[in-house]
Amino acid sequence: MSTQNLEIRRSSASVLGGLSGMRHVPRVAKYIDTTTCIGCKACEVACQEWNDLPNVQTQQFGSYQTLPTLHAEFWNLIRFSERDFDGGLVWLMRKDQCMHCDEPGCLVACPSPGAIVQYANGIVDVNPEQCIGCGYCQTGCPFDVPRFHPTTTKMAKCTLCVDRVEVGLEPACIKACPTGCLHFGTKNDMVALAQQRVAQLQANGSKQAALYDPAGVGGTSVITVLAHSDHPEWYGLPKDPHVPWGVKLWKKVVRPLGGIAILGAVIGAFGHYMNHGRKGVRGVAAEDGNLPEA
Amino acid sequence: MSAANPSRPIDPAVLAAREREDILVGDEIVRHKLSSRVIHWLVAVTFFVCLFTGMPIWTPVFGWMAQFFGGLSVCRVLHPWSGLAFFLASAIMFFDWLSDMIFAPHERKGWWGPKLIHYMKWEIEEGEEVGKYNGGQKLFFWSVALGALGVLVTGLLMWFPGKAGSLVMQLAYILHDVTFILFAVAVVFHIYLGTSAEPGTFRSMTRGTVTRKWSKLHHPGWYRKVTGEDPRRR
Repeated sequence: MSTQNLEIRRSSASVLGGLSGMRHVPRVAKYIDTTTCIGCKACEVACQEWNDLPNVQTQQFGSYQTLPTLHAEFWNLIRFSERDFDGGLVWLMRKDQCMHCDEPGCLVACPSPGAIVQYANGIVDVNPEQCIGCGYCQTGCPFDVPRFHPTTTKMAKCTLCVDRVEVGLEPACIKACPTGCLHFGTKNDMVALAQQRVAQLQANGSKQAALYDPAGVGGTSVITVLAHSDHPEWYGLPKDPHVPWGVKLWKKVVRPLGGIAILGAVIGAFGHYMNHGRKGVRGVAAEDGNLPEA
Repeated sequence: MSAANPSRPIDPAVLAAREREDILVGDEIVRHKLSSRVIHWLVAVTFFVCLFTGMPIWTPVFGWMAQFFGGLSVCRVLHPWSGLAFFLASAIMFFDWLSDMIFAPHERKGWWGPKLIHYMKWEIEEGEEVGKYNGGQKLFFWSVALGALGVLVTGLLMWFPGKAGSLVMQLAYILHDVTFILFAVAVVFHIYLGTSAEPGTFRSMTRGTVTRKWSKLHHPGWYRKVTGEDPRRR
């Protein structure tokens, strides 16, 4: 593979919308099997290492989890959700990171041209050179992923290791996972692999096992097998994620209507001048000598 | 010697307009004293800096505006500060003009619509002698005050991302935009009325004075109060 994967499919704040690529590049996906995650955090370390991120001070808040939430310098967090099942404690692991949505809310909300791009292979990436650090993407994201970096004043999140993927490598976290609960490949292959695992889990008694690939955002390039798919909120995942209504209303309705209103005001003022002219005396049209000027 | 050239003395109307208003100087009436004019210009300049730094962030269609300031990321830094300056200037202007902007009983109705249309057709309301400001100007004043507060509160939320929840932020973005759109529409007409539509008005914001003829036409009640003469007499 070459840099062909960097062909851009969609770019933020582009006037004419999508930039459709010429090459047909297959969608890629990361498949996470939460049922075989042992919480070793090797993926967290691999992510920090590959992306040259500094050591982030861990926080003790009554959990084995490294941090309470994602961080501008910590893009891959294993969440340890503790749940009681018939008197036994169970950890519901989840790999919290950018989901790389097919319809990315961050990209919809972003006001800076090219600051957020979706590559033809489905990876959604922040381009720091164009990012202005407004934080709109944070509001647009249904998964609460992008984080503001106070020193760089840019937004930061998982890149799905686009710099590795473009040269034919798998993301760093996949490389590090010791249990094989992480896989990387084309989206079609990953869905097939995940469905096999779902069938296996269901046969073994986990009747609610299913693949989390939410249709509300057009599917994601990070797909997750959940043993309790009827309760995604147990894992900290939204049940039906979609681009927030407020963001859609703001960008798709308020903005165009506002543009029309402002243009209408300018045309209206001009039309008024042609129709009614200057204000004269007692409703009589302004003429020389009838003008209020000195 | 810093004294002016004795052969060209400073215009007494300009001189008088430095400190006082609502007075007759020769054939001119001082409408806005120097400090009021400076405050209004501060509001105008900060408004336009906000407009030109905000519009490229609002939509890429106006992205070219960002080039005047050195790019979009400069606009992102400049916009909140100019917004803060706009709010402060607006607050000073608010208290400067507040006492003149209280609605008279007959101005309380209709200026949001029917009376405004009536006015824009240059039809004069009989039996209502317009004072220093008409109902439309007062409505604009109060709308600007409310709007300035609206863009401040929503703008503060947008200045520092990640401090409020998603729902609050969505509401802030929409309200910030709606307020700005109403501002832009109103300002187009504000400038239009103050320049080409009503000649003789703009000088009240530069020189500070207006003519007798202008005052009789637009603000007869104010003319009567300042000069003690009947505005209907030509």
